[in-house]
Amino acid sequence: MVTLEHIEQSALAAIDEAANTSVLRDLELKYLGKSGEITLLMRDLGKLSAEDRPAFGKAINDARARVERHLEARRAVLKAGEQAEQFASEAIDLTLPGRAPRWGQPHILSQTTQRIKQTFIGMGFEYLESPELEEFRYNFDALNYPPDHPAMDEQDTFYVTDTLLLRTQCTALQGHVFETRKPPLRCFTVGRTFRNEAVDRTHSHTFHQVDAFMIDEGVSMAHLKGTLGAFARAMFGDEVKVRFRPDFFPFVEPGVDYAISTPKLFGGRWVELGGAGLIHPNILEAYGIDSERYSGWAFGLGVERIPMMAYGVDDLRYFLENDRRFLSQFPG
Amino acid sequence: MKLPMSMILSLVETRLSPQEVGDLLTMAGFELEGIESDEAEAVLDLKVMANRGDALSAMGMAREILAKDASAQPTELYRRATGRFESRSFPETSLTTSEITRVEIATPNCTRYAARCFRNVQNGPSPEWLQKILRQAGMRPISLFVDLTNYILLELGQPLHAFDHDRLVEGRIVVRQAREGEKLRTLDGVDHTLRPHQMVIADAERPVAAAGIMGGEETEVSDSTRNVLLESAHFAPSSVRRTRKDLGLNTEASYRFERWVDPDGVVAALDRFAELYAEIVGPSAEIAAGGIDLYPSPARSIQIPFRLDRCRTLLGMELQPDEAETALTRLGMAVDRSQESWSVSIPSWRPDVVREIDLIEEVGRVCGYDRIPEKLPQGSTPLGGTFGPLRLIEQTREVMLRAGFDEIVSHSLRDRHPFDFTSDWRVEVRNPHSPEMRMLRDSLLPGLADAAHRNGLRDLHLFEIGKVFVQGDYQIDESPELAILSTGSLDQPHWAGKELVQADFYSMKGVLERLLATLGLHAEYLPPNDPDRRLHPTRQAGILLDGGKLWAGTFGQIHPDLAEELGLPLGTILAEVDLLVLATEVPAEPRLHDISRNPSIRRDIAVVVEKSVPYRDIEKRIEGACGQILEKHWLFDVYEGPSLPERHHSLAIALQFRKPGENLTDEEANQVRDRAVEALAELGAKLR
Repeated sequence: MVTLEHIEQSALAAIDEAANTSVLRDLELKYLGKSGEITLLMRDLGKLSAEDRPAFGKAINDARARVERHLEARRAVLKAGEQAEQFASEAIDLTLPGRAPRWGQPHILSQTTQRIKQTFIGMGFEYLESPELEEFRYNFDALNYPPDHPAMDEQDTFYVTDTLLLRTQCTALQGHVFETRKPPLRCFTVGRTFRNEAVDRTHSHTFHQVDAFMIDEGVSMAHLKGTLGAFARAMFGDEVKVRFRPDFFPFVEPGVDYAISTPKLFGGRWVELGGAGLIHPNILEAYGIDSERYSGWAFGLGVERIPMMAYGVDDLRYFLENDRRFLSQFPG
Repeated sequence: MKLPMSMILSLVETRLSPQEVGDLLTMAGFELEGIESDEAEAVLDLKVMANRGDALSAMGMAREILAKDASAQPTELYRRATGRFESRSFPETSLTTSEITRVEIATPNCTRYAARCFRNVQNGPSPEWLQKILRQAGMRPISLFVDLTNYILLELGQPLHAFDHDRLVEGRIVVRQAREGEKLRTLDGVDHTLRPHQMVIADAERPVAAAGIMGGEETEVSDSTRNVLLESAHFAPSSVRRTRKDLGLNTEASYRFERWVDPDGVVAALDRFAELYAEIVGPSAEIAAGGIDLYPSPARSIQIPFRLDRCRTLLGMELQPDEAETALTRLGMAVDRSQESWSVSIPSWRPDVVREIDLIEEVGRVCGYDRIPEKLPQGSTPLGGTFGPLRLIEQTREVMLRAGFDEIVSHSLRDRHPFDFTSDWRVEVRNPHSPEMRMLRDSLLPGLADAAHRNGLRDLHLFEIGKVFVQGDYQIDESPELAILSTGSLDQPHWAGKELVQADFYSMKGVLERLLATLGLHAEYLPPNDPDRRLHPTRQAGILLDGGKLWAGTFGQIHPDLAEELGLPLGTILAEVDLLVLATEVPAEPRLHDISRNPSIRRDIAVVVEKSVPYRDIEKRIEGACGQILEKHWLFDVYEGPSLPERHHSLAIALQFRKPGENLTDEEANQVRDRAVEALAELGAKLR
């Protein structure tokens, strides 16, 4: 019995003195391993009398358990210290720059187009396109422009032949749709338009437009205002308000230009966004749509206007110059 | 249009400030573009809609103010103008205008022509108050007669013209079409040769004015003018517009005639002129009695039915019957409400109002669109989305972005460029803004080259999707194209970087393969029958669909000569893909293959073969020799070096075998590999 007590004491003492976990592993073998000192005592158990055996066996097991607990406690302490040292030695400079993956940068106009598409598709509109090189009749006649009307002066036009021109407005989509489809209709397009104008900060001969229209029974100016409101809020935030002001476009009656205002942008001023109105009944009738039963609205606006207003882009020329220093400011 | 506030206030009494009047007109559709203060008085600069010629005057704006502002009151002058100045009060001579002159209308383009004569005039400078108003309106004071015509133009919107009566041959007027080759020197000193589709005012012999546009220099009133014939007329807008464009003259008069001048106000303008003239000149004024007024077919007044319910439905707002009526009557319309569908008489100055919807607009405009609530559309919703070729274009863009290419958007209008697709089938604009933008692009590559230059020519991987235009045999083809430019390192240079992979033919091929696979299309990449002159002749391939029959694009290394000419790196890789062609193919849908639980076995082989043997042949041999058991294979190394025979290289190919439902043995795998090696021996390949 003296021996057991002695072994246990020396084991506990050695564990206390162990400097690191590898010494602990050695001590574990020395006392608790297959030939460990405490393990070997169990073999001597057979030499004892039957009545002494249980008590001594229990004493050995208790001692063994105490040594094991002590060992684990000590191990936890030593491991924590050792890991702390290891982690310290493995420290890296967290401020070195990250390695960028290969990453395509979408153009700001495409990003805007995608947002516009999401919004209108969400309201049940189908995305369509019509030619950039357009026939005169779709760009003007089909849109209720009287022949040779001053309204055309506002749209200096590039001509390729007598009848082919570069479309001045994406509204030219309407005629294509009305020729092939019947109401109810909800359609929109985003595309490129051209005006024969000098280029400066706010003018370009080439720019982009969203044009949307719907035709159904009972469609009113209130539906136009509601849809434009929803669209403007999707682009410029929840607080946006929409205002209509009378304006003239041959293809709508009543015709309005619409402005938006939001406390966040433009200092709460009203800023004009585009033109809109109810599709002129002359147009509906020209395509065999009953203008008493159906009415519709249409609206258009410049795509560039959206990033210009939302992000403070103050020069239209940036959009088609493809300078990375500009484009990378809008990571998408 | 610049309008002095004082002129507006001579017609309406309002408590509103000039800014408030401007804001009110803005909300009526006449945008205030600015307020100038000239000689301490406000001048409004207003934008007038193209269909509202009636508003191009103080009177027109006064009408709008009265309609929009319930507190505004018309002045006596306004009432008299509304009454067409029939209560005129100026002395007339016993000699009548019709005794002095004769007028003949010999063209359908002149609707109405009135004239009045003034005798023994002294055409000196006009009084200061008149000069001041004209200066405020941006006009140059010239002489009493010219200034007064301009004043009437501003006040009533009716252009007038004063002729030196003594200079008119036979002292009479003929309104007619010009004769071919007739000459006219307008009072800006420019000589014009006239054509028969142009309308002129002539005397007995020759044109003396371009009708509705500008008078002639010879018959212009001057300080020495003794007798004046004053013209007030109505001309067909389209005729004035055409002639004005031909002659390159845009005047205050033509601007108004093009946009419609009130035909019923023609005589009133003459009377108003005479009244002011008498006021200014005093007792010495000799105004010939009466006038001449030719109005062959007077316009009939029109009545338009108006349904209040329809108005409410289309505007989507609440509206009281009295409000609607007031809005219309304040604009000068007469409303008969005796039946459920009202009848509205349209005044002669509003030719833009021709049907019910126009009246609905007027009611909404006057009552205010602010009252329209926001409502989302209800009812039948068709399917929203992007379908067909348009979806393919979107997918293409997504793939290119995922592949790490930067998107650019460039101009369609440009000058000729060595990267043009064609030299013979270009589409040119007839009226280019400048020579640098005279043609429509037939390729997106020039734009990519410009973008590469702008961004420093190093490590650039760019694409654009856009429309290109090519003149076909019968029509101009407009189709969506994808173009790619890739040069330099494919990875971002980095502090921990090793050797960076450079763009080459194969990196571009990989992108295109990935694109077509994503679109569900199978393509072959073959040497083109007709090589693209812009590309390196032996480093370019056609993208062929439909078993090699359908050309969809070309890619390859830039031709060294073009690289030099354009200052692009020699290793620049280019691609052009016609997206419309891709869209004609039916894409394959993904089909699930069972995922085998049996393990695969890999065997690598390295063979030395002549470089001239195409890898596609090697692949075919391997596939043929191994059969179904070959799950996949890939080339993982190409080595050339002094240890190999000349013109040979060593290819290291991995073969991966798998048998669904069965575990392969090593022996089986070795047998299949040996079959592959044997098959390759037929191509002269030896195991290394």
